[in-house]
Amino acid sequence: MSKKGLSILIVAIIVVIIGIIIIDFIGNNALNRGGNPYEYNVDEYKEVDPSLIHYKETKNIALGDIIPRGMDIFKGDIYITGENFLKVIGIHGVQKLNISLEESGICVLARDEFIIAGLEQEVLIFDHMGKLINSWKPDTETTYITSLAILNNILFVADAGNRRVLKYTTEGNYLGEFEGKSESDDQHGFIIPSPHFDMVVNEFDELWIVNPGKHAIENYNEKGELRGFWASSSMNIEGFTGCCNPAEIAVLSNGSFVTSEKGMVRIKIYSQSGELESVVAAPEKFQEEGTAPDVKVDENDVVYALDFDRKLIRVFEKKLSE
Amino acid sequence: MAENKKLDRRDFIQKGARITLGASLAGIGIAAATKASAEKYVWQIDPFKCTQCGRCATDCVKNPSAVKCVHAYDLCGYCDLCGGYFKPGANKLETGAENQLCPTAAIERRFIEEPYFEFIIDEELCIGCGKCVKGCGAFGNGSLHLQIRHDLCDNCNECAIARVCPSDAISRIPASQAYIIKGNFTETQES
Repeated sequence: MSKKGLSILIVAIIVVIIGIIIIDFIGNNALNRGGNPYEYNVDEYKEVDPSLIHYKETKNIALGDIIPRGMDIFKGDIYITGENFLKVIGIHGVQKLNISLEESGICVLARDEFIIAGLEQEVLIFDHMGKLINSWKPDTETTYITSLAILNNILFVADAGNRRVLKYTTEGNYLGEFEGKSESDDQHGFIIPSPHFDMVVNEFDELWIVNPGKHAIENYNEKGELRGFWASSSMNIEGFTGCCNPAEIAVLSNGSFVTSEKGMVRIKIYSQSGELESVVAAPEKFQEEGTAPDVKVDENDVVYALDFDRKLIRVFEKKLSE
Repeated sequence: MAENKKLDRRDFIQKGARITLGASLAGIGIAAATKASAEKYVWQIDPFKCTQCGRCATDCVKNPSAVKCVHAYDLCGYCDLCGGYFKPGANKLETGAENQLCPTAAIERRFIEEPYFEFIIDEELCIGCGKCVKGCGAFGNGSLHLQIRHDLCDNCNECAIARVCPSDAISRIPASQAYIIKGNFTETQES
């Protein structure tokens, strides 16, 4: 073989080798590979009929560099707690009060006389100037407080860690507890697979408690006796999905429920008897596999959603045409 | 005046052989000492980085993959409606194949007491696709997660899965801490 022919052969071999390396590199590039043959796909359940969406997002308030955990709306102010703080923010986002907490606040409840913060294992009561009035700890180490509600001067404290609701006076005197079990065995009791255990008192002085493991919302009297419940399990928009939903609830002035779900994050409105009425925000509005926003309602039935992933308070108002 | 001593060929070869042998022995000794003192490393998946892309099932040199689903029972909610067991929109919450998410039916659902169920991974059947991990993470507590089983892994110099992992979730870790288990399941076992 001539010298020229040998050179051409060597160059051709080098070109082929480089070509193989490039093809192999491109083939193994994460962006250029085919789809996942084992993909877990719930896209079809994320689609929401636009005619069901009766709300639009009208405003949001950025929370900055804090880690929020819970929220309440009371008389035009936003009460928000989280990693070592409890803040009161005006409706336009101006901070009115900032209380430092030694531990993380999980939930907050504001009333005329006081602000109550639920830490993981402690209840703190402040006046509206931020002065600590009272505090106490439930008796067990496995307590995980997730929600607070007041009915007839009884403070109800949801303890997800022990699947029970504790009852106290606002001075911290223990009045009893209940686990949601009924004599007729209609419901098993509270099933709390994850730390989402919310409750709310509506305008008609009814205490409603979420039983997330049963996809149910249950009505109790102040003694802790089950009065009624409804449940709805489905991947479709009509029901609740996953292990434990709804994660958060609020109530409108007519007694309808605002529900917030984890997993496939969505906010919906249900009638008091459990029929889906409308959708506030479809899954596309939230981060995929995000955290269920805390939801609260003001006196005008405006829905506030605390978006933990985007660190925003998002305001949803009913569309004028609805 | 010093007399220059000339090496003959035989001396030269003998001296050269001795030096080569000595150097080789010294090298082997140093290498052995280094190996004895250095910690062994193994490949492992960081479950907090894993995005369940499916490549653990398709790209491992072992067939079926050395990656298996493991279950952190202390994180599990023992749910009736388990997002890692039932496929989305399952007709019924029962063990019929048409309701199961796992493509190889590698998860056993065992009744404990109303309304709690235990979910057990059959590693013989598991192919490490991560489909159940995705479902559990999305709709449950994230107690299911993927790990490379070192009794199955060849510990290749270059892990074929690590090479294509889109989230860089696979890296070498000390063999003394060969698993990255979610929850405190392992601590509980040890105690």
